[in-house]
Amino acid sequence: MFDRFTEVVSLVLGALAVAYLVYEIDRRQRKLHDLWDVLDGEDAILTNTLEDMVESGELVPYAGATLA
Amino acid sequence: MARSPRRPGSSRRETAEAGLPSSAAVREAGVSDPPIQTVPAPISGNEKPPAASRFRIFIVDSGWNSAARRVLLENFALIRDLQKEDPIYVLNRERSIEFMRRHGSRIGRDPIIAVHDMQALGKGGTTGFHGFRLSLGLLRTPHQALMGLQAFARFLVTHRQSADLEADIRANLRREGLMGAIEIAMHHEAREIGE
Repeated sequence: MFDRFTEVVSLVLGALAVAYLVYEIDRRQRKLHDLWDVLDGEDAILTNTLEDMVESGELVPYAGATLA
Repeated sequence: MARSPRRPGSSRRETAEAGLPSSAAVREAGVSDPPIQTVPAPISGNEKPPAASRFRIFIVDSGWNSAARRVLLENFALIRDLQKEDPIYVLNRERSIEFMRRHGSRIGRDPIIAVHDMQALGKGGTTGFHGFRLSLGLLRTPHQALMGLQAFARFLVTHRQSADLEADIRANLRREGLMGAIEIAMHHEAREIGE
């Protein structure tokens, strides 16, 4: 009886540990995905805006050694 | 809609910007650091980025008084030296604010460093993968911001010739997939961004 109880407790604790690990990995991955964004079709407008500014001459390559 | 491949280089005109006080002078006056501004480029002949630039780097910074911004200001010269092959375009405060107003979901994530992969843009335009973006403003401490910046510089230098840049970004920066999950579980990504 006691053995069964400890078995159940161990299983529950093990499941909780795994669940926490999965949650933590997912949380960190989401943080990384927020930090490092991949540009794709959803960012087309953003990209085109910047590229248009370059092509029109509004933006020129920064040539200074340091920022002011 | 796919964009046609862009010609390298373009005609440009000088962007006239007012001179700005140095950061030290501004601090003496008790004012927070000035926003990153485009400094009038010293005119020394017809400067063009190298024809073989793989990347175009854009810095968008609306001027939040944040640790990330200070770290970027302090380390910009080194970033620039490490990325000599690629042109860096710095949006001034007004353009950055206008940019943020148009793309409101990005507010608070700046300074943002966007990298356009010219190889991918030339092949498939903007419909598919064409670059990546580092939202430096999401890193709250100077240590985290510095490590993020270092990871960014390291990635660009080591993956300049990458045949599949998207896969490299997903594996090495975003830690996707099973290997990514293992590295996260072993805290590798935490060490890399200073947590």
